[in-house]
Amino acid sequence: MRAAALTVLPLLAAILSLLVGSTSLSPAAVASALLHPHATGVLHTIVWQLRLPRVCIAATVGASLALCGAVLQGMLRNPLVDPYLTGVSAAAAAAIAIAIVAGVSAAATPGIGFVAGLAAALLVAALARRGGGIDSNRLILAGVSLSTLFAAIVTLALVRAQSNQYASTVVAWLAGSMAGRGWPELATAAPYAALGAVLALAVAAPLNALRVGELRARTVGLNVNRAQWIMLAASSLLAASSVVLAGLVGFIGLIVPHIGRRIVGSDARVLLPACASIGAALCMFADAVCRRIVAPAELPIGVLLAFIGVPAFLYLYLRPATTLRRDSVSRSL
Amino acid sequence: MIELRGVTLDVGERALLNDIDARIATGEFVALLGRNGAGKTTLLRAIAGLHRLRLGAISIDGTPSAQMRALDRAKRIAFVTGDEIFLESLLVRDVVSIGRFPHHRWWQWNAAPSDDAAVDSALAAVRLEAFAQRLFSTLSAGERQRVWIALGLAQETPILLLDEPTSHLDVGVAHEILALLRRLTRKGKTVVCALHDINEAAGYADRIALLGDGVLLALASPDAVLTEPLLHRAYGIAFARRTALLPDSVLVARPHVGT
Repeated sequence: MRAAALTVLPLLAAILSLLVGSTSLSPAAVASALLHPHATGVLHTIVWQLRLPRVCIAATVGASLALCGAVLQGMLRNPLVDPYLTGVSAAAAAAIAIAIVAGVSAAATPGIGFVAGLAAALLVAALARRGGGIDSNRLILAGVSLSTLFAAIVTLALVRAQSNQYASTVVAWLAGSMAGRGWPELATAAPYAALGAVLALAVAAPLNALRVGELRARTVGLNVNRAQWIMLAASSLLAASSVVLAGLVGFIGLIVPHIGRRIVGSDARVLLPACASIGAALCMFADAVCRRIVAPAELPIGVLLAFIGVPAFLYLYLRPATTLRRDSVSRSL
Repeated sequence: MIELRGVTLDVGERALLNDIDARIATGEFVALLGRNGAGKTTLLRAIAGLHRLRLGAISIDGTPSAQMRALDRAKRIAFVTGDEIFLESLLVRDVVSIGRFPHHRWWQWNAAPSDDAAVDSALAAVRLEAFAQRLFSTLSAGERQRVWIALGLAQETPILLLDEPTSHLDVGVAHEILALLRRLTRKGKTVVCALHDINEAAGYADRIALLGDGVLLALASPDAVLTEPLLHRAYGIAFARRTALLPDSVLVARPHVGT
């Protein structure tokens, strides 16, 4: 039942996202365009060159961020961790802001962001290293402090760019948006996202073992150091790919793992696919709303997710907690 | 069989234990005694492959432990520790299932029937069958300790190491757990168990290993080890023998195993 729902949900979001936009299309028109990939015309262009790549990008970004958040929260056993903890996003943002202000061509900026993001993840990992493994507290400290530094660089770039038209480009990028992205960007980022997803699924069993603590994970034979490096590689690839595709999309990476755990529990073998599915569905749905709500303009997806997602999440998250407390009280009585 | 030859352990830069030689036979129940900081936990961790030796060697059934891969070691040795950590919404069965980790490769996604059987029998051994679907966070200290033991049993290892499994437990639950360990040794499991209570060690162990002054002071039968001079040396206080008041189960469970 849950498995079926988690499969159907992204499909529904994808269909909705194909139908909705600044021009509304009928389901029949979209279906016909999809069935005739080699046709020509405005409708065909909208579906194949605008809508479909957007839907695929939104699904990739949502699934990547949610997977990344689930892996990092499990690895650090800290529910407050989000995908941008490792400094990937802040470094990518700083590099892209500098590139935009310096007048580098728009086509080159995603690549610059990707490389800078991964470089930051490597730097943070090097700083967090202790012995053969990674120290959770050092990782969080290194990630947070480097992110602050990169944020300062972004601010500096914005101040410098105030006089020209670049500032709005930087801001749009920081707010998170998939406007103007298409197949080329997806083709660049998708292989890295896919690699990250495979690595994430490969560490499902180690993530499960880590739920009872690092020491016990070691007693059952887990090579914790190696597992942590794989987890860090997976999360860095996933975060960097999504940053390149959509800029800074908040909320999903932090919240979807919590929603996933509420629905399917904390077994990573189930939780990771569930998070990917919920994240993809949420991101596609939110992107559709962003395109429609102030059409023909677009709302930044990060803004929308915060406005709708946070209250919904607080309701979801705080309500079952009260029920749990009641359960434990009745058990102890 | 566990064999330690010239084992020397450091904690940080400080020498903790020197030149320890010991042989522990299959099916034996050995209690590890010594004051706080004597090195009980570190020695257990070293046997479990979780603490590096400075010198010497530990072999398990003739195979040097240092040459074993972590997963293979985890199929031979289970290490039960009661360190308290918060487990968010984990069921007792989920916790015990983690003991099956060494029996899976990373691509083996689903639990096999043998996994379910091992988890079931581990839960049955600690009498927690009825608790399988309970949240771990709702259990009492004694029940949690039994869950950690069940996790170790689910590993299906011939050797079970336990770090103070009776700390923080009332005398009834403590003896229940020790009686359980005693039953396990009758089925051929080797148990090495760090304890604080001398009477518990006297009541259940085949032999007692006494740590003190950075060395193994003695490894012998309870009667031979629990003498005033040895205990004084280990704990630094005077001891007098009085008739101990022990639960009935001790008398029933008291083994007669030759070593």
